[in-house]
Amino acid sequence: MTSGQPSVSIPPQRDPLVGVALLGVALVYVRALLFTPIEARQGAAQKIMYIHATSAFIALYVAFVLLAIASALYLWLKDEKLDRVAESAAEVGLCFTTVVLLTGPIWGKTIWGAWWTWDARLTATLFLWFIILAYLLLRGAVEERGRRARYSAVLGILASFLVPFIHLSVYLFRTLHPMPILLKPSAPSLPNEMLVTFLSAFAAFTLLFFALLRLRYRIATLRDLVADREQERA
Amino acid sequence: MTPDNGAFATAAYVLAAIVYLVYVLSLKLRLRRLRERMIALDAPVRPRTDRAEGA
Repeated sequence: MTSGQPSVSIPPQRDPLVGVALLGVALVYVRALLFTPIEARQGAAQKIMYIHATSAFIALYVAFVLLAIASALYLWLKDEKLDRVAESAAEVGLCFTTVVLLTGPIWGKTIWGAWWTWDARLTATLFLWFIILAYLLLRGAVEERGRRARYSAVLGILASFLVPFIHLSVYLFRTLHPMPILLKPSAPSLPNEMLVTFLSAFAAFTLLFFALLRLRYRIATLRDLVADREQERA
Repeated sequence: MTPDNGAFATAAYVLAAIVYLVYVLSLKLRLRRLRERMIALDAPVRPRTDRAEGA
């Protein structure tokens, strides 16, 4: 199962799932900005949570967990499809983490009065962003497909070790970052209207993640197919 | 008193939309380029000639 041409036809240019996901995110924008009440103490800036926390959740617990699982399975099974899943999860996860790192400071400025603070969660998330960037650069630097997949699988697994650390950092260290409001042992501490918006955002961004993952996976498959054809012709 | 910081929320939402849309666009462009390369590779190979076309 290690090599050989991917047995796929040329994927279509249009992908309705991406359009549906973007429409879902647009509807969440409308609901969050226009129809969700403003929190009394934080003001409208609290609404940043609906995109910041959901993007963070999907990047950490979906994208980078998928990266780790696909990487570990690749090292075991040596199936190129798993390498492509890992690569796609890392890149889409990087996009989501970029949103987290851009929206977080805007929220922080309104609540803490500072764009950035070097506390454990923020620093670890930034560190993870750089590691995933390094992962993608590594993939671009190694030409031989098997070696590229092996090296990046190891780095992908190492990067994912940061996920539990980031999750627990608010409990382990004194930090300005708020505690989880949903992913915690007790019941979610959000009023109903806000909870519905949050869960809608979570559903829409999850759909967006899988739509982007599918599209990115198609690109990786087609790229390998093109490389094989070019090698045949050379 | 509730602080007036709606501009910050709008800025964050716009920034997130830009990141996601630019990424979607980059994926679409990459897929299109690869499709074109693949179609060109699948096209039948024409015998090479030293004469310029139309000459």
